[in-house]
Amino acid sequence: MDDFICPRCRTSKFQNPSMKMMVNVCGHGLCESCVDLLFLKGSGSCPECRIPLRRNNFRVQLFEDSAVEKEVDIRKRVLRDYNKREEDFATLQEYNDYLEEVETIIFNLTNDIDIVNTNKRIEQYKRDNKEQILKSKGRLGREEYEMEEMLEFEKQREEERKKVIQLEEVEIKKKKIREKEALIDELMFSNADAKNILDTFAQQAQQEKKEEEEEEVRKIPGKATQFSTGIQFGRQSHSTFLPVPTDEGPIYVYKPLEFDSDGPKPPNDIDIVEKHFLNHVRSETDTERAGGYKANIACLRALQDAMMGLFHSKKSIKS
Amino acid sequence: MFPSSTQCKYWMFNSEEELNRLRQKANAKHIQIYGQHTAENSKYDVFLTPEEEKIMVKRFELHLRDFCKRFQPPMPRYVVGTAFHYFKRFYINNSVMNYHPKEIMVTCIYLACKVEEFNVSIQQFVANIKGDREKATDIILNNELLLMEQLNFNLSIHNPFRPVEGLLIDIKTRTNLHDPERLRQGTEHFLERSLLTDAILLYSPSQVALAAVLHAASKLQENLDSYVTDTLFGEDGRDKLTDLIEAVRAIRSMVKMADSTPDRNQQKILDKKLDKCRNPENNPDSEIYKKRMLAILDDDDDLYRKVSSQNTSIDNSALSMSIQSSPQ
Repeated sequence: MDDFICPRCRTSKFQNPSMKMMVNVCGHGLCESCVDLLFLKGSGSCPECRIPLRRNNFRVQLFEDSAVEKEVDIRKRVLRDYNKREEDFATLQEYNDYLEEVETIIFNLTNDIDIVNTNKRIEQYKRDNKEQILKSKGRLGREEYEMEEMLEFEKQREEERKKVIQLEEVEIKKKKIREKEALIDELMFSNADAKNILDTFAQQAQQEKKEEEEEEVRKIPGKATQFSTGIQFGRQSHSTFLPVPTDEGPIYVYKPLEFDSDGPKPPNDIDIVEKHFLNHVRSETDTERAGGYKANIACLRALQDAMMGLFHSKKSIKS
Repeated sequence: MFPSSTQCKYWMFNSEEELNRLRQKANAKHIQIYGQHTAENSKYDVFLTPEEEKIMVKRFELHLRDFCKRFQPPMPRYVVGTAFHYFKRFYINNSVMNYHPKEIMVTCIYLACKVEEFNVSIQQFVANIKGDREKATDIILNNELLLMEQLNFNLSIHNPFRPVEGLLIDIKTRTNLHDPERLRQGTEHFLERSLLTDAILLYSPSQVALAAVLHAASKLQENLDSYVTDTLFGEDGRDKLTDLIEAVRAIRSMVKMADSTPDRNQQKILDKKLDKCRNPENNPDSEIYKKRMLAILDDDDDLYRKVSSQNTSIDNSALSMSIQSSPQ
C-alpha cells in the first residue's frame, strides 16, 4: 500500500481512498487528478523521466509493481506485430525459437537493454513480415472468439431479463389500476356497507401480496443458479465437454424379471413364509442381519437352485 | 441361475458317447501333430490310446480328491466341486500327452480356490505340495492362464451342494418324512463320488442333487417317490417325469461304477509310456521348455527396453519444450 503514493502530489490511498493511480508507457505512476492537471492539453512529459507522453495513453494501474505494468504495455505493443501462431510454423522447434525471440525483445525493452538495436530488430521484422502480420490481424484467435461469444451471450441474457422485469412492472401497474376501478365500482353500485367493502378489498390485496411474496421466494433460487455462477459454468462446460446426450424415445417401463427355470416353479418370497419353508432354515443372528443377510435370501436361493434345471434333458439341448 | 449359465450353454453334453468322441478327437489331433514320423499301425506303441488317457485322467481325479481332502486350511467342498469341473472340462478338448494331468490338476485346484473365494496365497497353496515348491509355483502360475483359456473363461460353476440344501428344506416342509437330516450323510457321500464320474457333465446340478437325495433315502429304506412325482413335479411337470426318472437312474448307475480303481501295475506302465510320449514343449523338465521360457522372458525384456526408451525420449522432448516456453 505504501507504494500507492502519487510521486507528484504525495497523496496516498490512505488519505484519499478514491484515488486512482494511472500509468503510461514509461511505467511511472501518477494519480488521476495530477494527470488531469498536467495533461490538460492532451500531451506533456513524464514528471520523473521527462519522456513525452500522450494523455490518452494513460491507463488505470492494475498491478502494484509499475514495472509489471510497463512490461504488460510493451508486450501488448510487441505482440501486435509478432502475432504469429503455432500453426504458422512447420516444427515445434521453430515456434519455440520464435517465442524465445519475442521474449528477448520484450525483456530488453522493459529493462532498457540495447533499446536502439531492439527497435531496429522490430522494424526489420515488420518490414519482412508485412503481409503475414496483416493476415494474422484479420483472423481472431479461437479464444478471443469464444470470449466474444460468451460476452454476447451474457448481454443477451441481460436484455431478456430487463424485458421480463419491465413487463412485470407494467403488469403490476395495470393490475393496481384495475383493482382501484373495481373498488370504486363496488362502492358506487353495491348496496352493502361501505366499510365492509373496503375491508374485503384490503384483505384481498393483502392476500395477493402474500402470494406474490411467496412466488418471489420460489423464483429466487432458480434465478440464482442462472445468473451467478450458472452462466460461467455452463459456458465452460460447453466449450470443453460434449453436451450430455438426452435420452429420447419411449419412457422406461419396469417389467419384473422373468427367467426360464427349466424345472418346477420354485416358491417365491411370499410362499416361503406362508408355506413355512422358512421354519427349516437357521434364522439369521443379529450380526448377520446388520450386514444385510436374512435367512429368507438363503432359503429362496437354495429352493431355486434345487428346482432349476430339473427338466434339463439331452433332447432339450439339441433343440 | 443354472439354465442361463455358461455351464448349461457350453459345458453340458448329450451323452457319454459324445464325450468319448471329443476325447478321441483330442487324442487323434495330438498324434497327428506330434506323430508324423511314426507309422500308422504302430502309433499306439508310442502314444497313449484314448482309453489309456481316460484311465490316466481318472487316476488323477482320485489324486485331486485326496489332495483336496488333505489340504490345509480345510477346503470347502464347493471348491473341490469346481476344481473337478475344471479338470474334466480341460481334458475334454486336450490330450493328456500334451499337458500332464499332474500339473493341470494343481492348477485347477488353485484356480477353483480363487473363483470360489477361498482365499489362499500361492505360498500357502504350495505348502501342501510335496517336493520342489518353487517349481510347483512356477508350474501353477504358468498354467493358470492356459487353463482359463481352455475353459473359454467360463469360470462360474454350479455345484449340486446348494440344490441339496434346497431339496432338504423342501422335503422337510412338504413331506412327512421322519427326520430328513438322516439323509445328509448318504447324500454327501453320493455327491462326492458323483464328482468322479461324467454325470456332472451330462446332468444339471439339481438332477444330480435329487439323485443323491433319492439314493440316500433308498439306503435308509425310505421312499420319496411320491414326493418327486406328486409334490415336486405336480401337474405341470407330468410329461417331464419320464426324462427325470431316466436321468436319476443313469446318474445312480454311473456313481455306482465310480469306485473301480485302476490296478497298480497298469498305472506304472502308463506312467512310463506317458513320460516318453509327452510333449516336451510343455514339460518343465525338458530343455526345449526351458529354452522356450527363456525366449519368452527375453521377449518381455526386449519389449520392456523398447517401451522404456520410447518413454524416455518422449519425456525428454516434453521437458525441453517446457523449458523453452517457460519465460512466456
